[in-house]
Amino acid sequence: MRNVGLIAVSFVREQRWPIFVLLLWVVGLCVIGLTVDVRRSREDVLIIFKQLVVYGVAFAIFFGGSAIHNDRRSRRILAVLSKAVGRKQYLCGLLTGIALALFLYCFCMGFTGSWVLGQSGFSIPLLWYLMICFMAACLLSAAVAVLFSTFLSPLFATLASGLFLGIPALITLQFGGKWAYAVPVYPLLGPLLNASFHQQLRLEWPLLFLAALEMVGLWLIASWIFRRRDIAVSVE
Amino acid sequence: MPAVLEYENVNKEYSVPFTRRKVRALRDFSLVVQPGEIFGFLGPNGAGKSTAIHLAMGFMRPSSGRGRMLGQVFGNARTRKRVGFLAENVSLFHRPADSLVRFYGALNGMSGKHLATRALEVLNEVGLGAEAKRNVKGFSRGMLQRVGLAQAIVNDPELLILDEPTSALDPRARVIVRELLIDFRNRGRTIFLSSHLLSEVELVCDRVAVLNQGKLVRLGTTSSLLESNHETEIIARGIPPETFNDSTVSAGLVHVHVPVGEQRAAIERVWQAGGEVVSLNPVRKSLEELFLELTNTPENGSSSETVA
Repeated sequence: MRNVGLIAVSFVREQRWPIFVLLLWVVGLCVIGLTVDVRRSREDVLIIFKQLVVYGVAFAIFFGGSAIHNDRRSRRILAVLSKAVGRKQYLCGLLTGIALALFLYCFCMGFTGSWVLGQSGFSIPLLWYLMICFMAACLLSAAVAVLFSTFLSPLFATLASGLFLGIPALITLQFGGKWAYAVPVYPLLGPLLNASFHQQLRLEWPLLFLAALEMVGLWLIASWIFRRRDIAVSVE
Repeated sequence: MPAVLEYENVNKEYSVPFTRRKVRALRDFSLVVQPGEIFGFLGPNGAGKSTAIHLAMGFMRPSSGRGRMLGQVFGNARTRKRVGFLAENVSLFHRPADSLVRFYGALNGMSGKHLATRALEVLNEVGLGAEAKRNVKGFSRGMLQRVGLAQAIVNDPELLILDEPTSALDPRARVIVRELLIDFRNRGRTIFLSSHLLSEVELVCDRVAVLNQGKLVRLGTTSSLLESNHETEIIARGIPPETFNDSTVSAGLVHVHVPVGEQRAAIERVWQAGGEVVSLNPVRKSLEELFLELTNTPENGSSSETVA
Protein backbone atom coordinates (compact mmCIF):
# COMPACT_ATOMS: atom_id res chain seq x y z
CA MET A 1 0.00 0.00 0.00
CA ARG A 2 2.87 2.35 0.81
CA ASN A 3 4.31 1.99 -2.69
CA VAL A 4 0.90 2.75 -4.18
CA GLY A 5 0.77 5.96 -2.14
CA LEU A 6 4.32 6.93 -3.13
CA ILE A 7 3.62 6.43 -6.84
CA ALA A 8 0.30 8.29 -6.54
CA VAL A 9 1.86 11.30 -4.84
CA SER A 10 4.71 11.25 -7.34
CA PHE A 11 2.16 11.28 -10.19
CA VAL A 12 0.36 14.30 -8.73
CA ARG A 13 3.68 16.03 -8.23
CA GLU A 14 4.69 15.43 -11.84
CA GLN A 15 1.30 16.63 -13.11
CA ARG A 16 1.11 19.59 -10.74
CA TRP A 17 1.04 22.23 -13.50
CA PRO A 18 -1.87 20.80 -15.54
CA ILE A 19 -3.75 20.25 -12.26
CA PHE A 20 -2.98 23.78 -11.12
CA VAL A 21 -4.22 25.24 -14.44
CA LEU A 22 -7.44 23.19 -14.16
CA LEU A 23 -8.08 24.41 -10.64
CA LEU A 24 -7.23 27.98 -11.60
CA TRP A 25 -9.74 27.75 -14.47
CA VAL A 26 -12.51 26.64 -12.10
CA VAL A 27 -11.67 29.30 -9.50
CA GLY A 28 -11.41 31.97 -12.23
CA LEU A 29 -14.85 31.11 -13.56
CA CYS A 30 -16.19 31.18 -9.99
CA VAL A 31 -14.81 34.69 -9.50
CA ILE A 32 -16.38 35.80 -12.78
CA GLY A 33 -19.65 34.14 -11.71
CA LEU A 34 -19.65 36.08 -8.48
CA THR A 35 -19.13 39.40 -10.26
CA VAL A 36 -22.32 39.01 -12.32
CA ASP A 37 -25.87 39.00 -11.05
CA VAL A 38 -26.06 35.28 -10.34
CA ARG A 39 -29.84 35.20 -9.82
CA ARG A 40 -30.56 36.77 -13.23
CA SER A 41 -28.05 34.69 -15.22
CA ARG A 42 -28.27 31.51 -13.18
CA GLU A 43 -29.04 29.31 -16.21
CA ASP A 44 -25.83 30.54 -17.89
CA VAL A 45 -23.83 29.76 -14.76
CA LEU A 46 -25.29 26.24 -14.70
CA ILE A 47 -24.35 25.68 -18.36
CA ILE A 48 -20.75 26.74 -17.63
CA PHE A 49 -20.75 24.38 -14.66
CA LYS A 50 -21.90 21.53 -16.93
CA GLN A 51 -19.11 22.38 -19.38
CA LEU A 52 -16.58 22.00 -16.58
CA VAL A 53 -17.97 18.52 -15.95
CA VAL A 54 -17.27 17.52 -19.56
CA TYR A 55 -13.72 18.93 -19.27
CA GLY A 56 -13.22 16.85 -16.15
CA VAL A 57 -14.11 13.61 -17.93
CA ALA A 58 -11.92 14.57 -20.89
CA PHE A 59 -8.96 15.25 -18.59
CA ALA A 60 -9.53 11.97 -16.77
CA ILE A 61 -9.22 10.15 -20.11
CA PHE A 62 -6.14 12.16 -21.10
CA PHE A 63 -4.45 11.55 -17.73
CA GLY A 64 -5.28 7.84 -17.87
CA GLY A 65 -4.31 7.40 -21.51
CA SER A 66 -0.91 9.03 -21.22
CA ALA A 67 0.30 8.13 -17.71
CA ILE A 68 2.14 4.92 -18.63
CA HIS A 69 3.42 6.30 -21.92
CA ASN A 70 4.92 9.39 -20.25
CA ASP A 71 6.83 7.25 -17.76
CA ARG A 72 8.02 4.91 -20.51
CA ARG A 73 9.06 7.67 -22.88
CA SER A 74 11.05 9.44 -20.16
CA ARG A 75 12.43 6.02 -19.07
CA ARG A 76 11.60 6.92 -15.46
CA ILE A 77 9.50 3.78 -15.28
CA LEU A 78 12.72 1.72 -15.25
CA ALA A 79 13.94 3.22 -11.99
CA VAL A 80 10.52 2.76 -10.38
CA LEU A 81 9.94 -0.82 -11.54
CA SER A 82 13.51 -1.79 -10.63
CA LYS A 83 12.40 -1.46 -7.00
CA ALA A 84 10.09 -3.78 -5.08
CA VAL A 85 7.11 -2.58 -7.09
CA GLY A 86 4.90 -5.03 -8.96
CA ARG A 87 3.10 -4.08 -12.17
CA LYS A 88 -0.28 -4.32 -10.41
CA GLN A 89 0.95 -1.98 -7.67
CA TYR A 90 2.34 0.42 -10.25
CA LEU A 91 -0.99 0.68 -12.09
CA CYS A 92 -2.84 1.02 -8.80
CA GLY A 93 -0.45 3.86 -7.91
CA LEU A 94 -1.13 5.63 -11.21
CA LEU A 95 -4.90 5.22 -10.79
CA THR A 96 -4.72 6.51 -7.22
CA GLY A 97 -2.67 9.48 -8.45
CA ILE A 98 -5.27 10.23 -11.12
CA ALA A 99 -7.97 9.85 -8.44
CA LEU A 100 -6.15 12.38 -6.23
CA ALA A 101 -5.91 14.86 -9.12
CA LEU A 102 -9.57 14.37 -9.98
CA PHE A 103 -10.57 14.64 -6.33
CA LEU A 104 -8.93 18.08 -6.21
CA TYR A 105 -10.81 19.09 -9.35
CA CYS A 106 -14.16 17.71 -8.14
CA PHE A 107 -13.74 19.24 -4.69
CA CYS A 108 -12.86 22.60 -6.21
CA MET A 109 -15.92 22.38 -8.48
CA GLY A 110 -18.16 21.34 -5.58
CA PHE A 111 -16.81 24.12 -3.39
CA THR A 112 -17.07 26.89 -5.98
CA GLY A 113 -20.36 25.44 -7.29
CA SER A 114 -22.01 25.45 -3.88
CA TRP A 115 -20.87 29.04 -3.48
CA VAL A 116 -22.01 30.38 -6.88
CA LEU A 117 -24.94 28.04 -7.66
CA GLY A 118 -25.98 27.96 -4.00
CA GLN A 119 -26.57 31.72 -4.15
CA SER A 120 -28.98 31.22 -7.04
CA GLY A 121 -31.03 28.53 -5.33
CA PHE A 122 -29.42 25.25 -6.40
CA SER A 123 -29.75 22.52 -3.78
CA ILE A 124 -26.36 22.15 -2.05
CA PRO A 125 -26.86 18.48 -0.93
CA LEU A 126 -27.86 17.63 -4.52
CA LEU A 127 -24.76 19.39 -5.81
CA TRP A 128 -22.42 17.37 -3.57
CA TYR A 129 -24.17 14.13 -4.47
CA LEU A 130 -23.73 15.03 -8.16
CA MET A 131 -20.05 15.72 -7.47
CA ILE A 132 -19.68 12.21 -6.05
CA CYS A 133 -21.30 10.81 -9.23
CA PHE A 134 -19.00 13.04 -11.30
CA MET A 135 -15.93 11.79 -9.45
CA ALA A 136 -17.02 8.17 -9.98
CA ALA A 137 -17.61 8.81 -13.70
CA CYS A 138 -14.17 10.44 -14.06
CA LEU A 139 -12.45 7.57 -12.25
CA LEU A 140 -14.22 4.98 -14.36
CA SER A 141 -13.23 6.86 -17.53
CA ALA A 142 -9.61 7.04 -16.32
CA ALA A 143 -9.61 3.30 -15.53
CA VAL A 144 -10.85 2.54 -19.06
CA ALA A 145 -8.13 4.80 -20.53
CA VAL A 146 -5.43 3.17 -18.39
CA LEU A 147 -6.60 -0.24 -19.56
CA PHE A 148 -6.31 0.76 -23.22
CA SER A 149 -2.99 2.52 -22.63
CA THR A 150 -1.40 -0.75 -21.48
CA PHE A 151 -1.32 -1.87 -25.12
CA LEU A 152 -2.06 1.26 -27.20
CA SER A 153 -0.35 4.60 -27.73
CA PRO A 154 -1.95 7.57 -25.90
CA LEU A 155 -3.75 8.78 -29.02
CA PHE A 156 -5.30 5.40 -29.80
CA ALA A 157 -5.97 4.74 -26.10
CA THR A 158 -7.88 8.03 -25.88
CA LEU A 159 -9.85 7.27 -29.05
CA ALA A 160 -10.60 3.72 -27.94
CA SER A 161 -11.72 4.96 -24.51
CA GLY A 162 -13.99 7.53 -26.12
CA LEU A 163 -15.58 4.87 -28.31
CA PHE A 164 -15.82 2.33 -25.48
CA LEU A 165 -17.58 4.83 -23.22
CA GLY A 166 -19.56 6.60 -25.90
CA ILE A 167 -21.03 3.79 -28.00
CA PRO A 168 -23.21 2.18 -25.25
CA ALA A 169 -24.46 5.66 -24.30
CA LEU A 170 -25.28 6.47 -27.93
CA ILE A 171 -27.12 3.17 -28.39
CA THR A 172 -29.20 3.90 -25.28
CA LEU A 173 -29.96 7.43 -26.42
CA GLN A 174 -30.94 6.23 -29.89
CA PHE A 175 -32.72 2.96 -29.19
CA GLY A 176 -33.33 2.99 -25.46
CA GLY A 177 -32.52 0.01 -23.24
CA LYS A 178 -29.92 -0.43 -20.54
CA TRP A 179 -26.77 -0.54 -22.71
CA ALA A 180 -25.36 2.58 -21.07
CA TYR A 181 -25.19 0.70 -17.76
CA ALA A 182 -22.52 -1.61 -19.20
CA VAL A 183 -19.96 1.09 -18.36
CA PRO A 184 -22.08 3.53 -16.36
CA VAL A 185 -20.26 6.79 -17.12
CA TYR A 186 -23.21 8.29 -18.96
CA PRO A 187 -25.81 7.23 -16.34
CA LEU A 188 -23.59 8.77 -13.66
CA LEU A 189 -23.15 12.03 -15.55
CA GLY A 190 -26.74 12.19 -16.84
CA PRO A 191 -28.31 13.77 -13.72
CA LEU A 192 -25.52 16.36 -13.66
CA LEU A 193 -25.68 17.18 -17.38
CA ASN A 194 -29.49 17.47 -17.17
CA ALA A 195 -29.46 19.24 -13.81
CA SER A 196 -31.92 22.10 -13.21
CA PHE A 197 -32.82 24.38 -10.35
CA HIS A 198 -36.02 22.42 -9.75
CA GLN A 199 -34.36 18.98 -9.58
CA GLN A 200 -35.02 16.78 -6.56
CA LEU A 201 -32.26 14.77 -4.88
CA ARG A 202 -32.57 11.11 -5.87
CA LEU A 203 -29.75 8.92 -4.62
CA GLU A 204 -28.58 6.03 -6.81
CA TRP A 205 -26.08 4.20 -4.67
CA PRO A 206 -26.23 0.94 -6.72
CA LEU A 207 -24.89 2.85 -9.71
CA LEU A 208 -21.95 4.11 -7.66
CA PHE A 209 -21.35 0.61 -6.36
CA LEU A 210 -21.40 -0.77 -9.93
CA ALA A 211 -18.90 1.90 -11.01
CA ALA A 212 -16.58 1.02 -8.11
CA LEU A 213 -16.82 -2.66 -8.95
CA GLU A 214 -16.05 -2.03 -12.62
CA MET A 215 -13.06 0.15 -11.68
CA VAL A 216 -11.54 -2.72 -9.71
CA GLY A 217 -12.28 -5.11 -12.59
CA LEU A 218 -10.69 -2.78 -15.15
CA TRP A 219 -7.61 -2.36 -12.93
CA LEU A 220 -7.23 -6.15 -12.63
CA ILE A 221 -7.57 -6.67 -16.39
CA ALA A 222 -5.13 -3.79 -17.06
CA SER A 223 -2.65 -5.33 -14.60
CA TRP A 224 -2.97 -8.74 -16.25
CA ILE A 225 -2.21 -7.25 -19.67
CA PHE A 226 0.52 -4.91 -18.39
CA ARG A 227 2.33 -7.77 -16.66
CA ARG A 228 2.76 -9.39 -20.07
CA ARG A 229 4.09 -6.27 -21.77
CA ASP A 230 7.74 -5.46 -22.38
CA ILE A 231 8.26 -2.01 -20.97
CA ALA A 232 11.88 -1.40 -21.82
CA VAL A 233 11.55 -1.31 -25.61
CA SER A 234 11.43 1.97 -27.49
CA VAL A 235 8.01 3.56 -27.35
CA GLU A 236 8.63 5.89 -30.29
CA MET B 1 26.64 -21.44 -2.97
CA PRO B 2 23.60 -20.76 -5.20
CA ALA B 3 24.11 -18.50 -8.21
CA VAL B 4 23.11 -14.87 -7.88
CA LEU B 5 22.05 -14.52 -11.47
CA GLU B 6 21.33 -17.36 -13.84
CA TYR B 7 20.18 -17.43 -17.48
CA GLU B 8 19.19 -20.77 -18.95
CA ASN B 9 18.88 -21.00 -22.75
CA VAL B 10 17.18 -17.65 -22.91
CA ASN B 11 15.91 -16.38 -26.27
CA LYS B 12 14.37 -13.01 -26.85
CA GLU B 13 12.68 -11.89 -30.05
CA TYR B 14 11.01 -8.57 -30.77
CA SER B 15 8.35 -8.10 -33.40
CA VAL B 16 8.87 -5.12 -35.68
CA PRO B 17 5.57 -3.20 -35.69
CA PHE B 18 3.51 -3.37 -38.90
CA THR B 19 5.80 -6.00 -40.45
CA ARG B 20 6.22 -9.73 -40.13
CA ARG B 21 9.86 -9.32 -39.26
CA LYS B 22 11.33 -10.23 -35.91
CA VAL B 23 14.54 -9.08 -34.30
CA ARG B 24 16.36 -11.74 -32.33
CA ALA B 25 18.13 -9.97 -29.48
CA LEU B 26 19.31 -13.03 -27.52
CA ARG B 27 19.98 -16.53 -28.78
CA ASP B 28 20.28 -19.52 -26.45
CA PHE B 29 21.89 -17.33 -23.87
CA SER B 30 23.11 -19.12 -20.75
CA LEU B 31 25.18 -17.55 -18.01
CA VAL B 32 25.78 -17.97 -14.30
CA VAL B 33 27.00 -15.16 -12.05
CA GLN B 34 28.43 -16.30 -8.72
CA PRO B 35 28.10 -14.44 -5.41
CA GLY B 36 30.84 -12.00 -4.46
CA GLU B 37 32.22 -11.28 -7.91
CA ILE B 38 32.35 -8.27 -10.17
CA PHE B 39 31.15 -9.62 -13.46
CA GLY B 40 31.88 -7.65 -16.63
CA PHE B 41 29.35 -7.90 -19.42
CA LEU B 42 30.72 -6.73 -22.74
CA GLY B 43 29.54 -6.47 -26.29
CA PRO B 44 29.14 -4.01 -29.14
CA ASN B 45 26.05 -1.81 -29.46
CA GLY B 46 22.98 -3.92 -30.11
CA ALA B 47 24.65 -7.12 -28.92
CA GLY B 48 21.81 -7.76 -26.46
CA LYS B 49 23.45 -6.67 -23.20
CA SER B 50 20.65 -4.34 -22.12
CA THR B 51 18.05 -6.90 -23.20
CA ALA B 52 19.68 -9.51 -20.95
CA ILE B 53 19.68 -7.04 -18.05
CA HIS B 54 16.07 -5.97 -18.65
CA LEU B 55 15.00 -9.60 -18.68
CA ALA B 56 16.62 -10.13 -15.29
CA MET B 57 14.91 -7.04 -13.90
CA GLY B 58 11.53 -8.21 -15.21
CA PHE B 59 11.09 -5.31 -17.63
CA MET B 60 10.72 -7.91 -20.40
CA ARG B 61 9.73 -11.54 -20.65
CA PRO B 62 11.92 -14.07 -22.44
CA SER B 63 10.52 -15.57 -25.66
CA SER B 64 11.81 -18.92 -24.41
CA GLY B 65 14.14 -20.21 -21.73
CA ARG B 66 14.19 -19.06 -18.16
CA GLY B 67 16.30 -17.33 -15.57
CA ARG B 68 16.62 -16.77 -11.87
CA MET B 69 17.81 -13.82 -9.85
CA LEU B 70 18.74 -14.40 -6.19
CA GLY B 71 17.01 -17.76 -6.39
CA GLN B 72 13.70 -16.42 -7.72
CA VAL B 73 12.31 -16.44 -11.24
CA PHE B 74 12.95 -13.19 -13.18
CA GLY B 75 10.37 -10.48 -12.57
CA ASN B 76 9.68 -11.16 -8.89
CA ALA B 77 9.01 -7.79 -7.24
CA ARG B 78 10.04 -8.92 -3.76
CA THR B 79 13.43 -10.09 -5.00
CA ARG B 80 14.11 -6.63 -6.40
CA LYS B 81 14.14 -5.35 -2.83
CA ARG B 82 17.59 -6.99 -2.56
CA VAL B 83 18.80 -5.68 -5.92
CA GLY B 84 20.15 -2.32 -7.06
CA PHE B 85 19.82 -1.22 -10.67
CA LEU B 86 21.17 1.65 -12.69
CA ALA B 87 19.86 1.97 -16.25
CA GLU B 88 21.77 3.24 -19.24
CA ASN B 89 20.85 6.90 -19.97
CA VAL B 90 19.51 7.36 -16.47
CA SER B 91 16.30 9.34 -16.21
CA LEU B 92 15.04 10.51 -12.83
CA PHE B 93 12.23 12.63 -11.44
CA HIS B 94 13.06 16.32 -11.08
CA ARG B 95 13.42 16.88 -7.36
CA PRO B 96 16.23 17.48 -4.84
CA ALA B 97 18.84 14.72 -4.87
CA ASP B 98 18.28 13.62 -1.26
CA SER B 99 14.50 13.59 -1.66
CA LEU B 100 14.88 11.56 -4.86
CA VAL B 101 17.13 8.96 -3.24
CA ARG B 102 14.71 8.76 -0.28
CA PHE B 103 11.82 8.20 -2.72
CA TYR B 104 13.54 5.24 -4.36
CA GLY B 105 14.62 3.88 -1.00
CA ALA B 106 11.04 4.10 0.24
CA LEU B 107 9.87 2.09 -2.79
CA ASN B 108 12.17 -0.63 -1.50
CA GLY B 109 10.49 -0.61 1.89
CA MET B 110 12.95 1.64 3.73
CA SER B 111 11.63 4.38 5.98
CA GLY B 112 12.21 6.92 8.71
CA LYS B 113 15.49 8.15 10.09
CA HIS B 114 17.40 5.18 8.75
CA LEU B 115 16.36 6.07 5.18
CA ALA B 116 17.20 9.77 5.62
CA THR B 117 20.66 8.94 7.02
CA ARG B 118 21.32 6.30 4.38
CA ALA B 119 20.29 8.68 1.55
CA LEU B 120 22.86 11.26 2.67
CA GLU B 121 25.44 8.53 3.20
CA VAL B 122 25.15 7.19 -0.36
CA LEU B 123 25.15 10.69 -1.82
CA ASN B 124 28.41 11.29 0.04
CA GLU B 125 29.77 7.98 -1.26
CA VAL B 126 29.20 9.05 -4.87
CA GLY B 127 30.70 12.48 -4.17
CA LEU B 128 27.44 14.46 -4.20
CA GLY B 129 27.05 15.16 -0.48
CA ALA B 130 27.36 18.89 -1.05
CA GLU B 131 24.67 18.83 -3.76
CA ALA B 132 22.10 16.85 -1.73
CA LYS B 133 19.59 19.70 -1.56
CA ARG B 134 19.90 20.71 -5.23
CA ASN B 135 17.23 19.70 -7.73
CA VAL B 136 18.62 17.09 -10.12
CA LYS B 137 17.00 19.03 -12.98
CA GLY B 138 20.11 21.22 -13.03
CA PHE B 139 22.61 18.35 -12.84
CA SER B 140 25.06 17.43 -15.57
CA ARG B 141 24.87 13.95 -17.14
CA GLY B 142 27.75 12.74 -15.00
CA MET B 143 26.09 14.01 -11.82
CA LEU B 144 22.81 12.37 -12.84
CA GLN B 145 24.64 9.12 -13.34
CA ARG B 146 26.05 9.42 -9.82
CA VAL B 147 22.61 10.15 -8.33
CA GLY B 148 21.40 7.12 -10.30
CA LEU B 149 24.11 5.06 -8.68
CA ALA B 150 23.16 6.45 -5.25
CA GLN B 151 19.52 5.39 -5.69
CA ALA B 152 20.74 1.96 -6.81
CA ILE B 153 22.80 1.35 -3.67
CA VAL B 154 20.58 3.06 -1.11
CA ASN B 155 19.10 -0.32 -0.06
CA ASP B 156 22.58 -1.88 0.30
CA PRO B 157 21.71 -4.52 -2.31
CA GLU B 158 23.07 -8.05 -2.51
CA LEU B 159 23.25 -7.74 -6.28
CA LEU B 160 24.04 -4.51 -8.10
CA ILE B 161 23.23 -4.41 -11.82
CA LEU B 162 24.82 -1.52 -13.65
CA ASP B 163 24.24 -0.70 -17.30
CA GLU B 164 27.00 1.67 -18.46
CA PRO B 165 27.51 3.34 -15.06
CA THR B 166 30.64 5.33 -15.89
CA SER B 167 30.02 6.42 -19.48
CA ALA B 168 29.43 10.09 -18.63
CA LEU B 169 31.81 10.42 -15.70
CA ASP B 170 34.99 12.48 -15.56
CA PRO B 171 38.20 10.66 -14.52
CA ARG B 172 37.89 11.71 -10.85
CA ALA B 173 34.29 10.51 -10.59
CA ARG B 174 35.27 7.32 -12.38
CA VAL B 175 37.87 6.61 -9.71
CA ILE B 176 35.25 7.24 -6.98
CA VAL B 177 32.84 4.80 -8.62
CA ARG B 178 35.56 2.21 -9.19
CA GLU B 179 36.57 2.32 -5.52
CA LEU B 180 32.94 2.07 -4.51
CA LEU B 181 32.47 -1.04 -6.65
CA ILE B 182 35.59 -2.69 -5.25
CA ASP B 183 34.49 -1.87 -1.69
CA PHE B 184 31.08 -3.32 -2.51
CA ARG B 185 32.65 -6.56 -3.74
CA ASN B 186 34.90 -6.71 -0.67
CA ARG B 187 31.77 -6.70 1.48
CA GLY B 188 30.61 -9.87 -0.28
CA ARG B 189 28.18 -8.21 -2.66
CA THR B 190 27.88 -9.09 -6.35
CA ILE B 191 28.12 -6.63 -9.21
CA PHE B 192 26.94 -7.26 -12.75
CA LEU B 193 28.54 -4.54 -14.83
CA SER B 194 27.78 -3.82 -18.45
CA SER B 195 30.21 -1.34 -19.93
CA HIS B 196 31.95 -0.15 -23.05
CA LEU B 197 34.85 1.23 -21.04
CA LEU B 198 37.10 -1.78 -21.39
CA SER B 199 39.93 -0.33 -19.32
CA GLU B 200 37.50 0.01 -16.39
CA VAL B 201 36.28 -3.54 -16.82
CA GLU B 202 39.85 -4.82 -17.02
CA LEU B 203 40.66 -3.04 -13.76
CA VAL B 204 37.75 -4.18 -11.61
CA CYS B 205 36.13 -7.30 -13.02
CA ASP B 206 36.86 -10.82 -11.78
CA ARG B 207 35.11 -12.47 -14.70
CA VAL B 208 34.05 -11.26 -18.10
CA ALA B 209 31.49 -12.39 -20.67
CA VAL B 210 31.47 -11.12 -24.23
CA LEU B 211 28.21 -11.04 -26.12
CA ASN B 212 27.96 -10.60 -29.87
CA GLN B 213 24.74 -10.58 -31.89
CA GLY B 214 22.81 -12.07 -29.00
CA LYS B 215 25.24 -14.94 -28.48
CA LEU B 216 27.72 -15.49 -25.73
CA VAL B 217 31.08 -15.69 -27.50
CA ARG B 218 33.53 -15.80 -24.58
CA LEU B 219 33.35 -16.28 -20.84
CA GLY B 220 36.14 -16.56 -18.31
CA THR B 221 38.20 -14.88 -15.63
CA THR B 222 39.64 -11.58 -16.78
CA SER B 223 43.23 -12.77 -16.34
CA SER B 224 42.70 -16.03 -18.24
CA LEU B 225 40.99 -14.26 -21.12
CA LEU B 226 43.78 -11.75 -21.47
CA GLU B 227 46.51 -14.36 -21.42
CA SER B 228 47.58 -15.56 -24.83
CA ASN B 229 47.87 -19.30 -25.21
CA HIS B 230 50.13 -18.84 -28.16
CA GLU B 231 53.02 -16.58 -27.22
CA THR B 232 55.53 -16.02 -24.46
CA GLU B 233 57.68 -12.98 -23.85
CA ILE B 234 61.30 -13.67 -22.96
CA ILE B 235 63.38 -10.91 -21.43
CA ALA B 236 67.11 -11.57 -21.50
CA ARG B 237 70.35 -9.72 -20.86
CA GLY B 238 73.89 -10.17 -22.05
CA ILE B 239 73.01 -11.13 -25.61
CA PRO B 240 73.18 -9.14 -28.85
CA PRO B 241 69.73 -8.16 -30.18
CA GLU B 242 70.49 -9.90 -33.47
CA THR B 243 70.23 -13.27 -31.66
CA PHE B 244 66.51 -13.14 -32.42
CA ASN B 245 64.61 -11.64 -35.31
CA ASP B 246 61.98 -9.04 -34.24
CA SER B 247 63.54 -8.49 -30.83
CA THR B 248 63.41 -5.10 -29.12
CA VAL B 249 65.82 -3.54 -26.68
CA SER B 250 64.72 -1.60 -23.67
CA ALA B 251 66.92 -0.45 -20.76
CA GLY B 252 69.65 -2.83 -21.91
CA LEU B 253 67.33 -5.82 -21.91
CA VAL B 254 66.36 -7.76 -24.99
CA HIS B 255 62.61 -8.50 -25.33
CA VAL B 256 61.44 -11.17 -27.67
CA HIS B 257 58.07 -12.84 -28.32
CA VAL B 258 58.22 -16.51 -29.24
CA PRO B 259 55.51 -19.13 -29.84
CA VAL B 260 54.88 -21.27 -26.75
CA GLY B 261 56.14 -24.37 -28.58
CA GLU B 262 59.50 -22.72 -29.27
CA GLN B 263 59.99 -21.35 -25.78
CA ARG B 264 62.51 -24.00 -24.67
CA ALA B 265 64.63 -23.64 -27.80
CA ALA B 266 64.64 -19.86 -27.41
CA ILE B 267 65.86 -20.06 -23.81
CA GLU B 268 68.65 -22.41 -24.88
CA ARG B 269 69.66 -19.92 -27.58
CA VAL B 270 69.97 -17.21 -24.92
CA TRP B 271 72.19 -19.43 -22.81
CA GLN B 272 74.26 -20.51 -25.83
CA ALA B 273 74.83 -16.85 -26.68
CA GLY B 274 76.21 -16.38 -23.14
CA GLY B 275 73.18 -14.48 -21.91
CA GLU B 276 70.83 -14.83 -19.00
CA VAL B 277 67.02 -15.09 -18.94
CA VAL B 278 65.61 -12.36 -16.71
CA SER B 279 61.94 -13.27 -17.03
CA LEU B 280 59.50 -15.39 -18.94
CA ASN B 281 55.90 -14.20 -19.18
CA PRO B 282 52.83 -15.26 -21.09
CA VAL B 283 51.93 -12.46 -23.50
CA ARG B 284 48.84 -10.57 -22.28
CA LYS B 285 46.43 -8.98 -24.66
CA SER B 286 44.51 -5.91 -23.72
CA LEU B 287 40.78 -6.37 -23.23
CA GLU B 288 40.28 -4.02 -26.15
CA GLU B 289 42.25 -6.34 -28.45
CA LEU B 290 40.27 -9.33 -27.24
CA PHE B 291 36.99 -7.46 -27.64
CA LEU B 292 37.79 -6.44 -31.21
CA GLU B 293 38.89 -9.96 -32.03
CA LEU B 294 35.69 -11.51 -30.68
CA THR B 295 33.27 -9.01 -32.11
CA ASN B 296 34.90 -8.48 -35.48
CA THR B 297 32.17 -10.02 -37.62
CA PRO B 298 30.91 -8.70 -40.97
CA GLU B 299 27.42 -7.98 -39.60
CA ASN B 300 28.80 -6.10 -36.66
CA GLY B 301 27.40 -2.69 -35.97
CA SER B 302 24.10 -3.67 -37.54
CA SER B 303 22.88 -4.73 -34.11
CA SER B 304 20.86 -7.86 -33.40
CA GLU B 305 19.97 -10.47 -35.96
CA THR B 306 16.81 -9.93 -37.96
CA VAL B 307 14.76 -12.92 -38.97
CA ALA B 308 11.90 -13.10 -41.41
